[in-house]
Order: sequence, then C-alpha cells, then structure tokens
Amino acid sequence: MTAAKPILLAEDNPRDAELALAAMEEEHISDKVVLCHDGAEVLDYLYCRGQFKSRLKGNPAVVFLDLKMPKVNGLEVLRTIKSDISLRPIPVVMLTSSREEKDLAESYALGANAYVVKPVEFHQFLTAVRELGTFWGVINEPPPEGSPSTN
Amino acid sequence: MDTVTSDRPPLPPIAGDSTPETGLTPALSPPQPAKRTVARRFRELTIERRILAGFSLVFIGILIIGAVSYRNTTILIENSRLDTKSHDLLQLLNTVDVAMDEAENNHRRYLVTGEVVYLKSFRSLTEQKPTYLKYLKDLTAGLPQQESRVDTLQKLIEQQINAETGAIAKRDGGGFEAVRRIALEGAAKRELAAIHRIIAEMETDEHQSLRRRLSESTLSTTNTIVLLALGAILQLVLLASVYYLIRHDITARRKVAAELQLRGELLEAANKELEAFSYSVSHDLRAPLRHIDGYASLLSKAVGDSLNDKAKRYLQTISDSAKQMGQLIDDLLVFSRMGRQEMLHTTVNLDQLIKTILYDLRLDLQGREISWTIDTLPEVPGDPAMLRQVFVNLLSNALKFTSTRPIAKIAVGVETKSAGEIIVFVRDNGVGFDMQYLGKLFGVFQRLHRADEFEGTGIGLANVRRIVHRHGGRVWAEGIPDQGATFFVALPTRRPRT
Repeated sequence: MTAAKPILLAEDNPRDAELALAAMEEEHISDKVVLCHDGAEVLDYLYCRGQFKSRLKGNPAVVFLDLKMPKVNGLEVLRTIKSDISLRPIPVVMLTSSREEKDLAESYALGANAYVVKPVEFHQFLTAVRELGTFWGVINEPPPEGSPSTN
Repeated sequence: MDTVTSDRPPLPPIAGDSTPETGLTPALSPPQPAKRTVARRFRELTIERRILAGFSLVFIGILIIGAVSYRNTTILIENSRLDTKSHDLLQLLNTVDVAMDEAENNHRRYLVTGEVVYLKSFRSLTEQKPTYLKYLKDLTAGLPQQESRVDTLQKLIEQQINAETGAIAKRDGGGFEAVRRIALEGAAKRELAAIHRIIAEMETDEHQSLRRRLSESTLSTTNTIVLLALGAILQLVLLASVYYLIRHDITARRKVAAELQLRGELLEAANKELEAFSYSVSHDLRAPLRHIDGYASLLSKAVGDSLNDKAKRYLQTISDSAKQMGQLIDDLLVFSRMGRQEMLHTTVNLDQLIKTILYDLRLDLQGREISWTIDTLPEVPGDPAMLRQVFVNLLSNALKFTSTRPIAKIAVGVETKSAGEIIVFVRDNGVGFDMQYLGKLFGVFQRLHRADEFEGTGIGLANVRRIVHRHGGRVWAEGIPDQGATFFVALPTRRPRT
C-alpha cells in the first residue's frame, strides 16, 4: 500500500511548485506532496533533521528533483541519495527545464530513475506532472521499508 | 551566385604578423612597377626562399673559391715541375760543357804527349754522348727553340768527336809530327766555341723561363691568398645574414605562436561562457514562459466560464505567445548546438536520408497533393544527424511554402558534379522570394513572410547554412516571387579540415 507514502517535490521556484501542485490537485494526490525549496531541505527531509526532525520515519514514494536549486543542486542531491545505501532504493525523477545532453548523461550516470523535461506548454506540463505523480505515487510499488538495496 | 556570407568575421591580423617576412607568398602582394631593386625583390621573398638564396650564395662562393684555388695550385705545381726540369737541364748543360772542354783539352794533351791516359776524357765523352743527347732531348721536349738548339748541339758534338777521332788516328799513324799543327790549335776549336755559345744561349733561355715562372707563381699565390681572405669575409657576412634571417623568423614565429595560443585560450573561454549562457537560456528562460502559459491556463480554468469571447481570446493569445517564445528558444538552442557540437565524420547516403525524412514528414503530407521528383542522390562525407537537419529544414520549407498551391511540385536533385563538390538542390513551385532579399534569407531570425502567412521562427535556413559551412560547403538560393524557389547545397566530396 503506497497511500501513506509521500511524494517529495524539490522545486525552488514557487510558481513552478504551484503549477505542479495544481496539476496533482486534479488527480487528488496533491495532499501527498511534500514540497522542499532547495536541495538542502530535501536532504534534511530524507535524513529527518532540521525542520523535518519530528516527521514520520520512512522514505518517500518518489523524489521529483529539479536540477537547478539553491544551496545544494539536484545533481548533488541525486549523488547523495544514490550513494546512501538506505536511500538508494527511492525512485528519483529528474524534473527539469534543461534539455542539455550533459545534464541528461550526468543524471543517468548518477542513477536517476527517470528524466523529464518540463514542457513549456501548460497542458503538456499538466499531463506530464499528473502522469508522473500517478505513476510513481500511486501505480508504482515502492521498495519495502527497511530493506536496503543489496548492491 | 553564392551570396552566402561567412558567419564569423575574418580574424583581425595578429600583432606582429604584419611584417612582410611572414607573408605567405610574394604572389599575394599587389603587382609592383617594373622598376624594382634587387633588395626590394629580396624583401618580397618568403623567408624560406631568402634563406635558400643566402645559402646558395655561400655555396656559389665556396665553388668559385675552390675553382680558382684549384687552378692556381695547378699552375704552381706545373711551374714547380718545369722548374725542376729547368734545373736538371742547366745542370746537364754544364756537365756537357765541361765534358766537351775536357775532351778537347785532354785530346790535345794526348796529341802532344801520346800518353794514353789523356784519352780517358775523350772516350768517356764518346761513351756518354748518346746518354747526354737523350736527356737533352727529354728535358727540352715541348720547347721548340731549345729542341732546335739541341739538334745543332748534337751536330757540333758529333763534328767535334769526329775531328778529334780523326786527329787521334793521325797521331797513332804518323806520330806527333803528323799532328803538330792540330795539337797546337786543337782539332775542334771552332766546334767547341760554337758549343759553348749554344749552351750559353740555352742556359740564358732557361734562366729567363725560371724567372718568368717565379713571378707567375708569386702572383698566383698572392691572388689565391687575397681571394681566400675576401671569400672568407664574404662567407662570414653571408652566413651572419642567414643566421640573422633565421633567428628573426624564429622570433617572429614564436611571437605568433604565443599569440595564437592566447587566442585559443580566449576562444576556449568564450566558448565556455557561451555554453554557460545557452545552458542558462535553456534552463532559466523557459521557466517564466511555463509560468505565463500555466497561469493563463489556470486563470482560464478558474474564471473561463464568466469571460466574454474577447477576454478568452486575450488569454489564448498570452498562451500562444508564450508557446511561440518557447519554440524560439528551442530553435535558438539547436542553432547554438549546431555550431558547437562535435562533428561526426562518416559517409552519408543522401538517397536514404531523403527517404527517411519524407517518411518522418508523412503526417505533414496528409491532405496535400504533391508531385515529387527525386533524383538518385550520391553519398557524401559528413555528419548524418547534421545533414539530416539540413534536408529536413529544406524539405519542410518546400512543403510549407507550397501549401497555398493546389498541386505542390517539389524536386530534389543533383545539379552538377563539379570537381571536388556535389551540388544538391531542392526546388519547389511555392511562393518563392524576391532576389533582393537574398542576403537576409540565411540569416538568424530573418523571415521574408509575415507570421500570419507562414509559421516559423526564421532559424531553419540559418541552421542549414551553419551546418553546410561546417561541412566546408556552400549554400545559395534562387527564387522568383509567386513562382518558386530553389535551394542549393554544395558539399565537398572530401572531408573538410574541421
């Protein structure tokens, strides 16, 4: 059952965040979304520290990660997640404006599970975010808690 | 008819590069008036030619010095040989002279005394005579005057010997009385005098020759020494000039190399900056557009029902403009990437390429009546993805600008296969263009049609030109308003440098 597992959305731009939430609203999954405003917050959440010190334990169902963020950028967050044995199973979807080959290659090399370029057109953006939210937050079965990856 | 101008302005001259030494070829300089000094001519030569000229002069100098020295030395050797010969001859003449004297004197003593011992000199002379004559002939060979004197000498010697022989025979037959008169005067007094005279002449002659040769040898030696000294100085000067030339050239080259390296570094830095810039464009410029379209859509959703048609159209226009700008940014990024992207160097089958493109464009072809004429196209060296972009753009344009025609006619073919390049054209019967705008045709964001006539961002042909230029080729176009346009792409058949 994935209902309890939150979707972690890392997005420094409040407008992008609002639009993403508006998209998820339509699928009624917006209440599952935890919004982080930079990479440091994402790591705080994952390691239950700072403002997330008292949150319920457990990994999120998925992390939607923007590439360009203040403090700690997306690629650095991705590197941390994928090099931590307890965080590695969390699916990470890069959700970014960059279509640069360099970013794509680097993301996949670090172990990103998906890479989605945010479409400029809102309807496409809506569809993309909705489908991502539904797939990773509802359809996809996340790894069981407390069973770190064997590799 | 190539109207394409280069994307980049030519590099400004590198500092220090303006010196004529580093000029490429003398042919590049404008024609000069006929009156040109040698020095000026020399200054127009390339550094390699100047160094070569310098070394050639040194070499010629060495050759001349060598030849003259050889000649002078040969003269010296020959003179020394002749001198030896002269000295030998002088010595021999002296010997002969003495021998003749002794023979005559002793023979007279014999005539008087009858002592056989006095005949020794005469017999010795008779024995030695052929040897003397042989050596005399040998040593005077090649000297006609001396040779003829030797002949005379030979006759006189023989006469003297004959006279003496006769006198001796008389003395032996008739005793002292028979030869009394002869013994007083001498049998060959006249001959002996003649012999002395001739030998004296010959000696004088040889001494003259010796003196002549001595002065000749002295002159020749002096000449050689002077020549060697002058030659050595000249060679030194020439070699010093060549050394100066080479050193000057190396310094200039080093300077240029350093300059080039600096430029390379600057270019690299500029390129990095450009990359960062386009990354920023790609990432940051899209976000506000997404927001504009997003919020316009959200607004439309929130209050859409209560809006009148005009307000709805406004909202739609906001969304459309945002989308259009998104497209522009994407196109610009592609254009920028086309300039920076590493090129693949393989062979591209244009025939196959066009077929694939037409297959991919099939959705655009729906509902259109198009008459295609596609020639068999050759293979060209190049980057498949980039060349694909070229022909996608050209074919899309052909399709776009014939959309107002009831029957579109589009032809793809090979114009001519001139040496070193293949010219492919794409011809359509579309709206064409006025040739006076040709210069703008391939520019970035240049459009010859209004946005409401034909959509597009105006980057397609700029991309075509950039890609073809990177392949070392050319692009140009011909058009007639309302009748159609033809786009030409000339690609080199050999791989370009970059």
